[in-house]
Amino acid sequence: MTDASFILATLGVLLGATGTYLLLPHRRGEAKARTLYILGGTFAALGLLGFLLLLTPPALSPLADLIAGSFFYLFAAGALGCGVMTVTSRNPVYSALWFAGVVISTAGLFLLIDAQFLAAGTIIVYAGAIIVTFLFVIMLAQMEGKAVYDRAARSPGRAVFTCFLLLWSLAYSLAALPGSHRPKEIVAGEDRLHRGRELGADFFPQSPGAVPRVVLGKALRPTSSLFVDGDPSKPKPNVAGLGESLYADHLLTVELAGSILFAALIAAVLIANPRPIGGAGKAA
Amino acid sequence: MTATDPFSIELLTNYLLVGAALFALGMLGFISRRNLIVMFLSAEMMLQGVALSLVAFGRFHGNWTGQVFTIVILTVAACEASIAMALVVVLFNRKSSLDVTLWQDVREAGVEATDLADEAAEAAPLGVSDGPETYPTLTPAGIEPAHPIQPWTERRR
Repeated sequence: MTDASFILATLGVLLGATGTYLLLPHRRGEAKARTLYILGGTFAALGLLGFLLLLTPPALSPLADLIAGSFFYLFAAGALGCGVMTVTSRNPVYSALWFAGVVISTAGLFLLIDAQFLAAGTIIVYAGAIIVTFLFVIMLAQMEGKAVYDRAARSPGRAVFTCFLLLWSLAYSLAALPGSHRPKEIVAGEDRLHRGRELGADFFPQSPGAVPRVVLGKALRPTSSLFVDGDPSKPKPNVAGLGESLYADHLLTVELAGSILFAALIAAVLIANPRPIGGAGKAA
Repeated sequence: MTATDPFSIELLTNYLLVGAALFALGMLGFISRRNLIVMFLSAEMMLQGVALSLVAFGRFHGNWTGQVFTIVILTVAACEASIAMALVVVLFNRKSSLDVTLWQDVREAGVEATDLADEAAEAAPLGVSDGPETYPTLTPAGIEPAHPIQPWTERRR
């Protein structure tokens, strides 16, 4: 990690922490001045800008890469900004709607890393089902006016310190990852994160070639690869490849997911069904 | 490896940073907010950050495992949301409030309770809420009627 990106990361995280603390509700639910909100919003926006500057900019030469990179910045900024608004909104309905913004931005990021099925699935499951369930419960359990527990936060100073310390340490360790944010001459050698099928060479250093390929061929089936024959220029079709991998390599997982859904269905019906207090034993 | 993958480690780091930021924001909401529903929304946001990291790792290593695991996360999130919402409905029926600090009596032995609810009861109301409770300013005439309950005093118990 270079010194400039280190200072940038620290500054961005500090600004974001200050802005988020100013935007969060007061500890005792006291009203905050409008200037404090404007100041908090400005600080949070500056922190977000510093965080986005920390990311590696996209390549400028082919137009497709440039467009994909700008969309990445758009979706990342949308996800993080909507996330801050989800956490700091006083009204839970607004929180749910900002969370829908987070989900849509994440689906855009999924699209950018060739996960089209997951992008559609995330929007359908989260924005279509979970958010609607949340909104139903909010309507069911919401009172008029603003409740005092929506206007008050639980020890916001310590919470902001903890979470942004976590974010700073995660960013620090990610930037110290081999191959990223380092001078190029170090990257050119062996010192980088190995990917995919190269991992086999790490486990069989004495005999490169045939043995790792055979072992990896048994361990990693061809259905588990994103590409035909492991060649990155020949990607598999998304839904077909994902379904093939899901039903060939992870069949037990699919069965398990179905069982979990069934158990959750029964549990939700049992929990939410109103029963007479005291007469539950006789009624059952 | 016949050709190099265009998804370089710089791109992977970008996605991991965004996922880490989403996770930290969700954790902040889960710790600091007191509304049960907003807490569960924050937990879902943490799941989103983790799913983003998983898909980016799967893309980097060139296999489907990250996406398969994200599908499992989607399933678990749907189950969690359904059960959590059922629990929230039950809890709301018990105390007619979504405040999580009202449920401090189920805490572990040896942990002292914070009386945030009493502190917050002393707080000033949040300005004038626009809505059916606000009245137009007219020239006063006749006897002043009894005002309805103010919105910020309704749920204070």
